[in-house]
Amino acid sequence: MRERQGTAADAVQGLVPGLVLEPATLEEAAEALRRSAADRMAVTFVGGGTDLGLGGRPARLEAVIRTGALSRLVDHAPADQVVTAEAGMTLGALREVLALHRQWLALDPPLPDRATVGGVVAANAFGPRRARFGAARDLVLGVSIVRADGTAAKGGGRVVKNVAGFDLPRLMVGSLGTLALLTTVTFRVHPLPEARATVLFPGLDAAQAWALTSGWRAAQLEPTSAAAILASDRFDLGVRFEGFESGVADQTGRILDLGRKGGLAGERLGEADAKGFWRRHDAVREGGSFRVKFSAPPSRLPDMARSWLPPVLGELSPAAAVVYPTLGIAFASGDPASAAGVVAGLHDARIAVIAAGGSLVLCEAPVAVRGAFDPWGAPPPSIDLMRSMKERFDPDRRLSPGRFVGGI
Amino acid sequence: MSERTSLADLARRMEAVVGARNCYSSGPDLLTYECDGITHGRTRPDLVVLPGTTQEVVEVVRLARASGRPIVPRGSGTGLSGGARPVPGSVVVALSRMRRILEVNLEDGWARVEPGVLNLDVTKAVSGAGYYYAPDPSSQSICSIGGNLAENAGGAHCLKYGFTANHVLGARLVLHDGKVVDIGGTSLDSPGHDLLAALVGSEGMLGIVTEVTLRLLRKPEATRTFFATFPSTDEGGEAVSRIIAAGILPAAIEMMDRLAIVAAKAATGLDWPDVGAALLMDADGPVAEVEDTSARAVKIAREAGALEVRLPKSEAERQLMWKGRKSAFAAVGRISPNYMVEDGVIPRSEIASVLREIASMAKDQGLRVANVFHAGDGNLHPLVLYDARESGQEERAERLGGDILRMCVRRGGSITGEHGVGADKAEYMADMFGESDLETMKWVRSAFDPECGFNPGKVFPSTPLCGERAGPGGRVPHPAEKSGEVERW
Repeated sequence: MRERQGTAADAVQGLVPGLVLEPATLEEAAEALRRSAADRMAVTFVGGGTDLGLGGRPARLEAVIRTGALSRLVDHAPADQVVTAEAGMTLGALREVLALHRQWLALDPPLPDRATVGGVVAANAFGPRRARFGAARDLVLGVSIVRADGTAAKGGGRVVKNVAGFDLPRLMVGSLGTLALLTTVTFRVHPLPEARATVLFPGLDAAQAWALTSGWRAAQLEPTSAAAILASDRFDLGVRFEGFESGVADQTGRILDLGRKGGLAGERLGEADAKGFWRRHDAVREGGSFRVKFSAPPSRLPDMARSWLPPVLGELSPAAAVVYPTLGIAFASGDPASAAGVVAGLHDARIAVIAAGGSLVLCEAPVAVRGAFDPWGAPPPSIDLMRSMKERFDPDRRLSPGRFVGGI
Repeated sequence: MSERTSLADLARRMEAVVGARNCYSSGPDLLTYECDGITHGRTRPDLVVLPGTTQEVVEVVRLARASGRPIVPRGSGTGLSGGARPVPGSVVVALSRMRRILEVNLEDGWARVEPGVLNLDVTKAVSGAGYYYAPDPSSQSICSIGGNLAENAGGAHCLKYGFTANHVLGARLVLHDGKVVDIGGTSLDSPGHDLLAALVGSEGMLGIVTEVTLRLLRKPEATRTFFATFPSTDEGGEAVSRIIAAGILPAAIEMMDRLAIVAAKAATGLDWPDVGAALLMDADGPVAEVEDTSARAVKIAREAGALEVRLPKSEAERQLMWKGRKSAFAAVGRISPNYMVEDGVIPRSEIASVLREIASMAKDQGLRVANVFHAGDGNLHPLVLYDARESGQEERAERLGGDILRMCVRRGGSITGEHGVGADKAEYMADMFGESDLETMKWVRSAFDPECGFNPGKVFPSTPLCGERAGPGGRVPHPAEKSGEVERW
């Protein structure tokens, strides 16, 4: 197994590991965990490193296990629409393989050419198509893992329907490397759509954006994505339809009619403009030294726009935000003018979002902000069960200790 | 654990919690609770308790655990894997009195319900407003949401819409020590481990769920159905593969083989022809797209060798087609004195060859197998027909059922697609999972219930408990099922 001394490029939230292990096979991955167990090293797993800012700074970090060399396609069964990849394969590389068979994995988180399938699952990373296809928990069918004790195990399977045994694959989603190292992931994949179109409704206020969202739901339209990008104090709402040409053309026309009836002018974007709109969206998700995620019941979109986003955005320069109206999820990003200012804004926003039954999670932030603001917020009522889970999977607290909710 | 309290003493204390009417410790009242939808392997529990509130569940759990007795949670008891089968000396906690729909929020698309609410009643409560609850196990008019959650129930339409796991947003859970904990919520991505992932499909082994928050969906604008017949399951399977390969995601795509068609006709009097295979497909979504995809699927079915394609001319005719499909299983009772149902999964591209293998395995055992299945996701329900009066037939049927499941695993599939492992398939878990896999699953269980007092004897392979019989077995259809009003799989 390849191993080397850690450098600044291997740092996790500023912590430089003494050792970097780069397993290239599943056997080496198990060996890496056995070795860290024997030497009692605290380890963090790194894929493409696109979500390393998520969560707290690890309390200890002796070694990083990089999965980049675990990048093989294990199996693709086009007729069964399932694919198994090693955890370090990038989403971009997986897309290329699937596209040869006119298929895709309907997960579209930021930075696909860096993000790895294991990292996407561990961080529960997602993009706008979650509106139609769900997130990692809705697409993952099976996993292989290596446990903290160095033992390989698996859960789920490689068929789209399976309820045998406890659901380890979904349990791994969003666990941020605190329970085990993912080594392979099996996903359900979908046929690539025959056609796609994006309709843009520019300059909406929050009430209009929500009214339109409710309107297309009432009209039984089924977009695959919807994203409202904040432009000064108005939203540019992009709605994407994908599927067979017949359905895309029909739904595009109907949503434009729906807008017109509500006095909202929209347009079906040409290919270049559509790309431009989604690039703007990507920039919000990828940019800035600071990023935060809001989640709340979708109907609270007007509160999101009026009360929750502004205290944070007011402290960022440049400031950007995108709201997924059907999901109730928003991201704000930018560069904080002052740590104290943005922390004050975050506190206010978190209180309001939690009161609405939601959550606010820090995804990326400068060190000064991190030190003054809990990235997860107060632990949920079920924290004892999470601690109990951690105790069983990682009794010595060596897998990214302190990075997760409640200091797990 | 403390010394076992005497049964009479425990019964008195339970009665004080739930009322004498809601606690059975003897007599015929216990009989119903000796098994679930799998009626063999009956085991008499010590006590059956029917709490009416979360607080009552808390007290019942505390009393039962303090008495050292295992707890067996139970919904409607329609399960087909022995998941609600009691163990000797157990307390069955039946949630059937907790059947209130507590809150509905259409704007954000969810409903909060008690576990005893019947699956179909959720949809009934919101269908007037144009919403529905997507998972549709075939027993949906009699099975409960709590049971659905425990078994991660599926249904014909989960090919497109997913299982119970994809539609539960939150749950209130009573733990082994009587603590009440809320998991998930009404917004997405609650920070922390995905405990709902552990809970849904945990077969009653983690605690007792007393409230569930379910995702509600807007009804699709249109549904188009067609029925097609084929000379054999080879052509039928090929049609399914080609439809999927064409990029069409049917809402449901079901197949029946010759024997199942014969049985369905005998039961319903439908004018279906005597053919080797029949396919029933639903496409749903926005009307323009559905018209298009449905027409494409029909064309593909013809190209794949369909003998005949029927399009229902009315909703009534469509319902009749589905009734034929739904009654097929109970109808098997008309052509065989006894039968067992299996629930294996295979990669869908292998349907035709797997069916041939099943036929050859059946021939070797001198038995017949009828097949009705969710073809789109490769979820087979082979019905092993036998006559229990003939010496040795039941044993041979069991052997065949087990061999079919193992063959599913060999083909890269699963021993259960939607019925759960329960007590019945626990021994086959070792065919699908290794020791370390099972050990890891046990960690999940013990994180919630360190003493493993909830629903012992399920999922994990172990020595059968006294009085229990391992392996799949026969069942008796519900009267509503015989009439085709409901089906079970």
